[in-house]
Amino acid sequence: MAKVTREMVEKAGVNLDQLVELLVKNAAAELTTYYYYTILRVNLIGLKGEGIKEIAETARIEDRNHFEALVPRIYELDGKLPEDMKAFHDISACPPASLPEDPRDIQAMLTVLVEAERCAVRGYTHLCNLTAGKDYRTYDLSQAILNEEIEHESWFSEFLGEGPSGHFLRRGETSPFVSKFLR
Amino acid sequence: MRKFTEKELAQYDGKEGTRTYVAYKGKVYDVSQSFLWQDGRHQVLHTAGTDLTHALAKAPHGPELLKKFPVVGILEDS
Repeated sequence: MAKVTREMVEKAGVNLDQLVELLVKNAAAELTTYYYYTILRVNLIGLKGEGIKEIAETARIEDRNHFEALVPRIYELDGKLPEDMKAFHDISACPPASLPEDPRDIQAMLTVLVEAERCAVRGYTHLCNLTAGKDYRTYDLSQAILNEEIEHESWFSEFLGEGPSGHFLRRGETSPFVSKFLR
Repeated sequence: MRKFTEKELAQYDGKEGTRTYVAYKGKVYDVSQSFLWQDGRHQVLHTAGTDLTHALAKAPHGPELLKKFPVVGILEDS
């Protein structure tokens, strides 16, 4: 625990218990999404599925990175993680990104993926709003994750035909925004 | 359609097996089936059995997410 860190955040007017619970719930969402995306990715097959597999894989790896980046902040603020995997699943800030009934239905697969990202975008926007100007480190971290979640949303949205994302896929390295928290 | 007072609405707080109801702009929604309303709590800050009209104005999503759930009544005091 970082005692003065907690003190500073609390003095800035942040409800620390609520903040820590939100961070844990969002970390749980990242970990469970990583798991569900593994299943979605292996089922993205065939001519249409293969075209989406790469971005699903990038989003999957970056969600795991988000979990890794959130954990130290949770401990700094004297939070702790659930002791078993079922608890992680059940407290997640986002619903399970379950495999659709027909995994060959690419629209259904993309809808699951985009909805998962949209839930994450809402969650980190909420965290940014709660911490802006008050808890600089959590804000910086939440903003970095938010940047990547927005990109994931726009990739899947583009494949759904909702409009162009306006950017290219990753070239090699993952987590361009969050990597500074993973060193 | 059933009419709820705020006191009646408060009984549907999603705890101990009760249904999970929330109100928005005079309508009472049943969100019992939502993963995001387990145990009558939503994203740490919100509790079921209450009128969320003002809270939703500040939320990172609009009423469209609430409108996926069945309307079970009208909030009288709104």
